[in-house]
Amino acid sequence: MFAYYLRLSLQSFRRNPGLTALMIMAIALGISVCMVTLTSYRAAARIPLPDKNDLLYVPNIDSWDPENPYDKDKPGNAPDLQTYRDTRALYASTIPDRKLMMFKAGGVLSGGNKMVPEYVSARMTTGDFFPMFETPFLFGSGWNAKADEGPEPVVVLSKETNEKAFGGANSVGKTVLWHDREFRVVGVLNDWEPAPKFFDVSNGSFDDPEEIYVPFTWGQIMELGSDGNTNCWKTEDIQSYQDFLNSECIWFENWVELRTPAKVAAYRKFLDDYVIEQKSKGRFQRPLNNHLYTIEGWMERNQVVGTDNKAMLIMAFAFLAVCLVNTVGLLLAKFLNAAPVAGVRRALGASRRDIFWQHLTESGVVAVAGGLAGGLLGVAGIWALRAWYGRFVQDLERVLPTDFGTFVIAVGISLAAGLIAGFYPAWRIGRAAPASYLKVQ
Amino acid sequence: MGLRPIFSALMRNGAGAILVAIQIALTLAIVVNAVFVTEQRVTKIGRDSGMDDQNIFAVPVTSFEKNHDFFAMVRNDLAMLREMPGVVDAAPTTQVPLSGGGSSTQFYSLPEKKGEKSPVAYYNTDEHGVNTLGVKLVDGKTFAATEIEFRPKDAQGLPGTAIVTRAFAEVLFPKDKEHLVGKTFYDDQGKPTVIVGVIEQMHGAWVGWDKLDRVMLSPLVGPGPGIRYLVRTEPGQIDSVMSAVEVALRKRDPNRVVGKLRSMQNFKQSSYSSDSLMAVTLSVVTGLVLVFSALGIFGLATFNVNTRTRQIGTRRAVGARKRDIVSYFMAENWMVTTLGVVVGCVMALGVGFWLSNQYGLPRLDLYFLVGGVLGLWALGQLAAWQPARRAAKVSPAMATRSV
Repeated sequence: MFAYYLRLSLQSFRRNPGLTALMIMAIALGISVCMVTLTSYRAAARIPLPDKNDLLYVPNIDSWDPENPYDKDKPGNAPDLQTYRDTRALYASTIPDRKLMMFKAGGVLSGGNKMVPEYVSARMTTGDFFPMFETPFLFGSGWNAKADEGPEPVVVLSKETNEKAFGGANSVGKTVLWHDREFRVVGVLNDWEPAPKFFDVSNGSFDDPEEIYVPFTWGQIMELGSDGNTNCWKTEDIQSYQDFLNSECIWFENWVELRTPAKVAAYRKFLDDYVIEQKSKGRFQRPLNNHLYTIEGWMERNQVVGTDNKAMLIMAFAFLAVCLVNTVGLLLAKFLNAAPVAGVRRALGASRRDIFWQHLTESGVVAVAGGLAGGLLGVAGIWALRAWYGRFVQDLERVLPTDFGTFVIAVGISLAAGLIAGFYPAWRIGRAAPASYLKVQ
Repeated sequence: MGLRPIFSALMRNGAGAILVAIQIALTLAIVVNAVFVTEQRVTKIGRDSGMDDQNIFAVPVTSFEKNHDFFAMVRNDLAMLREMPGVVDAAPTTQVPLSGGGSSTQFYSLPEKKGEKSPVAYYNTDEHGVNTLGVKLVDGKTFAATEIEFRPKDAQGLPGTAIVTRAFAEVLFPKDKEHLVGKTFYDDQGKPTVIVGVIEQMHGAWVGWDKLDRVMLSPLVGPGPGIRYLVRTEPGQIDSVMSAVEVALRKRDPNRVVGKLRSMQNFKQSSYSSDSLMAVTLSVVTGLVLVFSALGIFGLATFNVNTRTRQIGTRRAVGARKRDIVSYFMAENWMVTTLGVVVGCVMALGVGFWLSNQYGLPRLDLYFLVGGVLGLWALGQLAAWQPARRAAKVSPAMATRSV
């Protein structure tokens, strides 16, 4: 029966090719616009390390100006970064199963056997960074707690940096110069480009990951400033790097891994105790405003999914709605136009249900055709979007992936939408009394 | 001709009319809000930065070897750049305006954090800064060469003089906007800075900041090891000068790193990319929505005409003129459009209110709603015009024929 309905549909399309093309195009465009916006939305809304969402936390304490909140629009938010003193104090807690502190720095890298000296970005962090964020290693591994304490002159290179410095060969044990100081390579990362760059959203949620990783304490030994945001609120006489470290300026970030609810509770209490203790020393004059964010919560707090992104998604689905209403109208017109044929079929014995299914099949065919065309248009749209952003951002494949999933979703939405759109017209035509059409014939 | 019979005829075959009305309502809600947001973004992108941003590029250089004389490098590089053909001027800077990266600090009009206060984005540069940026100095003068401080590592504080934008100075000294040069403002530790020059207009670092036009230039170079050079070229020569500069810098001193050269235009487009993407996407959606609405109205009107051929023939036979038939269909279309527009107004306001509430976008301007209503009325009438004309061509003899 289905095959017969399909054949009838095709005949019907041949009768009104313009109208049919219009319906298919309406669905296709609606779907493709949705697909493009959905892709960019999904790219932004993706939660990295979903398995660790209830293990990894960002502690967030409010050391800001007693007179002004950090963010005037969201006075409940504490600053997104920490002072040096606080980052050290939070790192000192023994409650977490794993912990890290970090900041973003930069400097000239040289000395590898293939290296043309180049300014590279660096993440100054502690050894737990690698297991906490499950970074993949091509060669070697991260460094241990002993290397953090020394600190030992060790470095982990990104895959790309290893290619530049050593032509991609296993460089573990070899040395490079950074800031003209010798560092020994202990590990080389494999491709690792998390999008969003969840561990440093304050410096750009979709920035490239750093090119080298160096033990945190080298930052203070080499007197490195931040290559990202540094924010200060307080009147302080800063004459030296040491003054700067002791100031209320914020440029550090902490993460902790807490494996049990008891540890989460204990860590929360630790944060409160720490802030209360600091209050007694004259710091932290704002109301107690501590947070312990999950990855998801941290993305939400930092508005990684921009408001534009959401607004565009809403607009896109409203546009799809217009396209669908359009299609319902056109289908209705088309079916009622051909009502006499249905009348004859009814008179020859087709039941109302047969007529209904026949017309719903026709709607379904329109929907699938629209969905496929829309999927292709959508892929083209994503390519266009990549070309648009490609002028500013390299490596867009990872930020805006065209996965098969989105395509399937597009065709699925289209089929569902088409059937919904076809339902009323098909029902309406199925209900029409045959006699009235037969009379005029 | 009364509208009542048209209305009751409409009600009898309501589904099609209601669908068109829904479509028009949705279209109005989308188009009005999309055009409103697009207009704002286009205005934002098109703002005058105050600089010659078409003809400026930046090149970062970093010295890295021990005992490398940073200041000699800067002086020699800049002297060479300024002599190169096609170069108008060159100057050092900490960051590139419009790039999204920069520094800001807070100043007061009186010592001890008193008086008016304002944050400002600041750039450290030399006596060529004003000319290189291409900003217009409306009062005072640019830095003297002797005023520039070449600062070694660890020295802190501000040099004591500054060139500022009018927007910044007027916030600090609202009562004496005519005499801004010579005024002194203070940092949060009470250290004074004297205004030596006033820039008409210049954009700073962050295009999303509502104080983008509060900018200060400080006569300061260093400390190293990294610095950026801004180079302003003759109009139209930026590409050739960029490649020549890259080669010349590497050749002059191989013992440092020359980073990626990037035009200010590229930084600017990048900073505004989400705005332009929003504007383009919304424009495309607006265009498509209008086209589809028009086609939908057209399709349904055509269908109505086709199914009513006999009825039209009968009316013609009993004396209706062609004009009457045309106006019948136009009136029918107008009624449907109006229904859609009324519902659409409510929806447009609702969406606008919701967008501004939820996402902090500005409240919908009502002029856009009025424009949208008039536009859709016109669109509806245009789309119905051809089918109505066709209906008028139906011959009175049709009344006696079967379909």
